[in-house]
Amino acid sequence: MTQKAVEARGIVKSYKSFFGRPATVLSGIDLDVETGEIFGLLGPNGSGKTTLISIFSTLIYPEQGSLSVLGMDARHHQSEIRKAVNISTAKPNFPWSLTVAENLRHYGMLYGLYGRGLQQAVSDQIAAFELEDFRDMRFENLSTGLKQRLSIAKAMMNHPRLLFLDEPTTGLDPDMSRKTRSLIQRIHREENISVVVSTHYMPEAEMLCDRVAFLRKGRIVALDTPLNLKRRLFLGERVEVRYEGTVDIPALQSMPGVMGLKSGPGWVEVVMERGGHGMGKGEDRERNGLDGIIKLFTQAKILDLTIKEPDLEDVFIELAR
Amino acid sequence: MSWQGELNKYLASAYKNWITSRRNIFTVFELFFWPMISLLSIGLLTQFLRVEEAMVSFLLVGAIALTILQVAQIDVAYVLLFDMWSKSIKNTFIAPVRSYHLVFGAALFGILRGSVVFIILAGVSHLLFGFNFQEGGLLPVLIFLLGVFAMAAVIGIIVCISILTFGQKADVAAWSLSGLILLVSGIYYPVEVLPPLLQAFARLLPLTYFLEYYRSIFIPGPHHLATGAFLAAFYLVLGLFLLDRAIERARRTGILLRLSE
Repeated sequence: MTQKAVEARGIVKSYKSFFGRPATVLSGIDLDVETGEIFGLLGPNGSGKTTLISIFSTLIYPEQGSLSVLGMDARHHQSEIRKAVNISTAKPNFPWSLTVAENLRHYGMLYGLYGRGLQQAVSDQIAAFELEDFRDMRFENLSTGLKQRLSIAKAMMNHPRLLFLDEPTTGLDPDMSRKTRSLIQRIHREENISVVVSTHYMPEAEMLCDRVAFLRKGRIVALDTPLNLKRRLFLGERVEVRYEGTVDIPALQSMPGVMGLKSGPGWVEVVMERGGHGMGKGEDRERNGLDGIIKLFTQAKILDLTIKEPDLEDVFIELAR
Repeated sequence: MSWQGELNKYLASAYKNWITSRRNIFTVFELFFWPMISLLSIGLLTQFLRVEEAMVSFLLVGAIALTILQVAQIDVAYVLLFDMWSKSIKNTFIAPVRSYHLVFGAALFGILRGSVVFIILAGVSHLLFGFNFQEGGLLPVLIFLLGVFAMAAVIGIIVCISILTFGQKADVAAWSLSGLILLVSGIYYPVEVLPPLLQAFARLLPLTYFLEYYRSIFIPGPHHLATGAFLAAFYLVLGLFLLDRAIERARRTGILLRLSE
């Protein structure tokens, strides 16, 4: 049987305060992460992603449930697990006055690296994450993107078999986000490790992850590949038409397979069901549905027609309801 | 893991404290300004009051002990204070380290800084007030310093436990605890002048015994060095055990996450 990177059963976690009632953050999470996959944890803010990642990495403990990480029981082998995993936290923070190289050196020492091996690991990560020009820059002077790169570089210092990335692109500009995603893909490919990444950016999950789990209010509400999730939720395709002239909007709305419709002067957006209902199957269904829409534009001139596939953003919105 | 790797886990805290202190202008205040102010005030006061030579040594030993204690204890506390202030405590506790790795590394740096302060203050008090710290030889000085550093480590551990238990607000403990020590362990007066309850408390503090031992070289009198050494060792072991428990509790309550936000 193949060893799983993470095997969690019935994980429950709540935070207590001195005066308030305990707030339940995770309510019975069952989750397996396969070895070698990039697994995505999706969900809105406060859904429990950071807490779950922190529990998987043994930074904090669950109140209930069992957890096995890389085949090791998290109750009895915390030290061994910590040697084999690492984490890049959301909003990365490090001792302010230490430079990039000094921070990597410090954390390398905490993992028991020494001598030339330590020097080499620092140099390797600085090179791998293109931090050469900032090697001697203090953490407090780094940009958000550089702090994020340093955070992932730190997380690679012990060559983990399982890497946790908590919102690795939060606060980054689009270009830096793209570079960070490429970096994650490269690490996964070259180091051949398992990765658990939490994010609330849907395109990121769609681009990176083999499978994703949606968390909502501390529960997993969906778990599958990004493609299957889109299929399972029967999210419709959006057909946007810009036109001149007149269109019979009520007729359009009552067409078989039309799930919803929005319109304004000179434009209409039709949400078409992907599951059938009198529209045929596969390409036929799509063609029939589209043909049916176009037939209703005989009194108008179509200026532009766009078909938009549903993305994980739509899944997210659907599941976050 | 090899012994070099294990050693580096201890040295990691010392390395972080060293770099941070080196780049912090206020280190000058910690190492030179406040210690000198403390020593000079007490030294000048003894001149103004024309106290006898034995009393001068009594007070100067107290002033120097308190200063070294403050410098060394804050270095142990810094191991978590720096992490808490920079919100990077997660990164430390995700690593496979135990309480003793963190404490001993930081204490090592505290001993280094405390020794530097001691040498400066001993030199200045000799030059300005004619006080000879080596009157009983080097061994009593080393034993005295060892006792002060052990007490400093215990206080630093208590600060770390407070941070992990009560969160950010607990950093006030880093500066308050040495004030309590000043009151009860006989820094500027013999513990016999304290009310009975505080005297009993003073007898639980190793520093009381190390001060009595070192002062007995200048003002002959009884001392119970062995009791002080036993208490110091006991508190260190107990402190490390309780710190480990505090770390485990912080993992259970999730305070480690809150300290990083």
